Amino acid sequence: MTRYRSLLAVVAGTAVAAFGVTACGGGGDDDSSGGGSGKSGGTINIGTVGPDSYDPALFQTVQASQALSPVYTPLTKYAPKEGKAGGEIVPGLADLPKVTNGGKTYTYQLKKGINFSDGSPVKASDYEHAIKRVVGQKGPYSSFFTGIVGAEEFQKDPKASNDIKGITTDDKTGKIVVELKAPDGKFPFAQSVAYAAPVKASSSPISDMTKKPPIGSGPYTLKVVDPSKEFTLTKNKNFNVPGVEKGKVDKINGLVSDSVERQTQDVISGKLDFTTEDPSGNLLPQVRSKYKDRIREDANPPNTYYFFLNVTEPPFNKLEARQAVNYAIDSRALVRIFGGRLEPGCTFLPPQLVGYKDFKCPYGDPGGPGNVKKAKELVEKSGTKGQQVTVWTNNKSPRDKIAVYYAGVLEDIGYKTKIKTLDQQVYFDRIGTKSSKAQTGFTDWYQDFPHPADFFQPLLTGDSLQSTPTSNQGFVNDATLNKKSEDLVQEPDLEKAAPDWGDLDEYVVKDKAYIVPYGYEKATSFFSERMDFDNCAGVHPVYKNDWTQFCLK
Amino acid sequence: MAVDPRNASTELSTDALAELAHEEEFVHGTVVRAQGPWRIAARRLRRNKVALGFLGLFFVVVAICLAAPVWADNVAKRGPKDNNEVGTVTVDGKKKNVVSPDGVPIGPTWQGQYFLGADGNGRDTAVRLLYGGRNSLIIGISAALITALLSVVLGILSGFFGGVTDSVISRSMDVVWAFPVILLGVALGTALGVNGLKLGPITLAEDSKLIPVLIIGFVYVPYLARPIRGQVMALRQKEFVEAAEAQGAGPWRIMFSEVLPNLTSTIIVFLPLAVANAILLEAALSFVGAGVRAPETSWGTMIAEGIETITSAPHQTIVPGLMLVITVLGLNVFGDGVRDAFDPRAKIRVEH
Repeated sequence: MTRYRSLLAVVAGTAVAAFGVTACGGGGDDDSSGGGSGKSGGTINIGTVGPDSYDPALFQTVQASQALSPVYTPLTKYAPKEGKAGGEIVPGLADLPKVTNGGKTYTYQLKKGINFSDGSPVKASDYEHAIKRVVGQKGPYSSFFTGIVGAEEFQKDPKASNDIKGITTDDKTGKIVVELKAPDGKFPFAQSVAYAAPVKASSSPISDMTKKPPIGSGPYTLKVVDPSKEFTLTKNKNFNVPGVEKGKVDKINGLVSDSVERQTQDVISGKLDFTTEDPSGNLLPQVRSKYKDRIREDANPPNTYYFFLNVTEPPFNKLEARQAVNYAIDSRALVRIFGGRLEPGCTFLPPQLVGYKDFKCPYGDPGGPGNVKKAKELVEKSGTKGQQVTVWTNNKSPRDKIAVYYAGVLEDIGYKTKIKTLDQQVYFDRIGTKSSKAQTGFTDWYQDFPHPADFFQPLLTGDSLQSTPTSNQGFVNDATLNKKSEDLVQEPDLEKAAPDWGDLDEYVVKDKAYIVPYGYEKATSFFSERMDFDNCAGVHPVYKNDWTQFCLK
Repeated sequence: MAVDPRNASTELSTDALAELAHEEEFVHGTVVRAQGPWRIAARRLRRNKVALGFLGLFFVVVAICLAAPVWADNVAKRGPKDNNEVGTVTVDGKKKNVVSPDGVPIGPTWQGQYFLGADGNGRDTAVRLLYGGRNSLIIGISAALITALLSVVLGILSGFFGGVTDSVISRSMDVVWAFPVILLGVALGTALGVNGLKLGPITLAEDSKLIPVLIIGFVYVPYLARPIRGQVMALRQKEFVEAAEAQGAGPWRIMFSEVLPNLTSTIIVFLPLAVANAILLEAALSFVGAGVRAPETSWGTMIAEGIETITSAPHQTIVPGLMLVITVLGLNVFGDGVRDAFDPRAKIRVEH
């Protein structure tokens, strides 16, 4: 789900196994701080280029994920730990589910006595309402839940009073039963992210609530002061979910600005305590050398950076044209534009993710120069030479430079180019809308949960085209890919299915050249001097940084 | 353009008349024939060495920017859009990365290639500075000419016909005037920058340089059109206009041959100041992403890009900023000199 979002290479099989065995076990994690304890209280300021949406049913970016995860606690969640351990699914508002009926039925039991942030009780039906909001608004994650019986029917007439047949809830007992049309290995992972968290049904219409987000039951409450400038997270006084960490600081001010450089400077000077962004190329060496005691560069949450190619628009409706671009890319240039924070690669699935297959890159060494000569030949062969191509990008550094580089490459291989730069908060909506006819441009994906389906299904399958905007910006709808992805996701044993996911990756990159993957970003976490860096960095494989773990010295 | 001797004095200020009278009487104790107002203005301007000096400065900037292709082809050997992220350059006999592996572009080399260093895409900053200057100057001058043209047409129509025509034009001007120019410019630039301009048969791509030209040309119209309107209203009452009417001249002919020549000094006074302001506005619009679009460049876009690296490579911001200051200062001081020479009491003021 996310463009700039993170998740560490958690072996998903671990998580599946964990909850297959434990069934209803769990009950939280006493040592939940993920790096030791830290003091509570105080106010911190976090700089960010801004969530794309404050509505948990609609957000896409990692910035939004970080801001919303402390506000919306799902039925199950990810363990508040670093590394692989953070990919383990643990109880949230409910205990871990019982999985029956060959992996098609999930039964959750809501914990007793839990409240929303306004003090009203969380009901089982509030979960169904949250799923209705995701499916009904055809948000970026709707395809994760259309496998529930009746969800697609609901999507056609998304009224709150209509029912999703496959979700049965009992408000008295707190029992929630979810029936799937077919076994779905990624479902428990999707269930553990903020968009699946119950929201107060009576005050949350099935419509965009980004300006006044729904009431949640997480450890913090969210207030949007101005969507493009400021939001605040304040400790939820009514938070009482046993086993779920309560958060440490009292208040978090989210300060939105476009300039990553400015945010980095502000963290250095102490005006900000943290930035959701990575220090840009020019400041990174300085930060690395002078402030090494408060910056971390972690084996990144799995992500892939690539250029999307719209297969429904010329010239990239031609296979040769798509292959040509893949040949021409010189990842060494992109590594420099990323300030050295890019690991070159040619696969769609990142190396840390289950299903990654280290196949021989079909377009040459991903760490070496591009093959412009071969690319030119292919462009000539495709008959698309001289066509106009608009390269889309957004204004977050260094994406402007990435587009300049990419446009230069396209010029070199025979196209006429223009660059279209949009604000990053609207960018992905625009390129994901068919009528925009975006031919090609920047995109990226950070996993929502450690499962290859989180990459294939929202980004490359025909199902994902039902969402508007879609994350499948290339508008790829390949019958073979759709079928194989659908079959593989039903396999509950992820380790068993992993080689097949790798083959599918090779099919996408080598056989069809649907995308132009060029590498995987290494994430940084940069804190002010006030923050307790050693104990409360909150580095997390799913959330990138878990704000509930942040604390002051 | 020749000024009708019958009405030449009507456009001159009291100071100019006094000087004219003085010069009619004695020069070195001898009575000489009267000189035309143009000659007097030119003489005043010639005496204003400071204004001329700054005009020279402006011309130097223009000449440097015009020489951009010469520099690019013969010295830097790179175009303004040529990326070079993985390339190297030899400085003092040593090979250096144009962009280091951790993303820091090379600083000024003080030699032909990368004289002022590179940007994050390995493009030559000096080359981009010169090409950016061309864009800034072309946009500024074109926009000022559009402003002058529109203002003269609207000001004359409004002041000459009065009545409903005047009301419609003046109220429209008021609406435009009500917005701060930068706000209006950014709003228009952002809106047109997304999908371009489609107005009947006219289609402009979103990255067309004509878009900032038209926007800047448009937003400054009231600042010239209103004084011209006032001037035309006064001229409309003059005897030479009545005389032309009595001779059977139609309104269009009177406007063109009687009124327009009397506006010349106002327009001349306005132009250098308008160019300076247009260049500044272009820089402001480009700075916020509503002017010149990547990969094209202008001083405004260079400053915006430079701000990102202000701590590690301050020259990326300072150099285009200095060029902007020199150009605008040159034009403003010269413009003031022109005003002093032609119309010291001119009420033309352009707000930023």
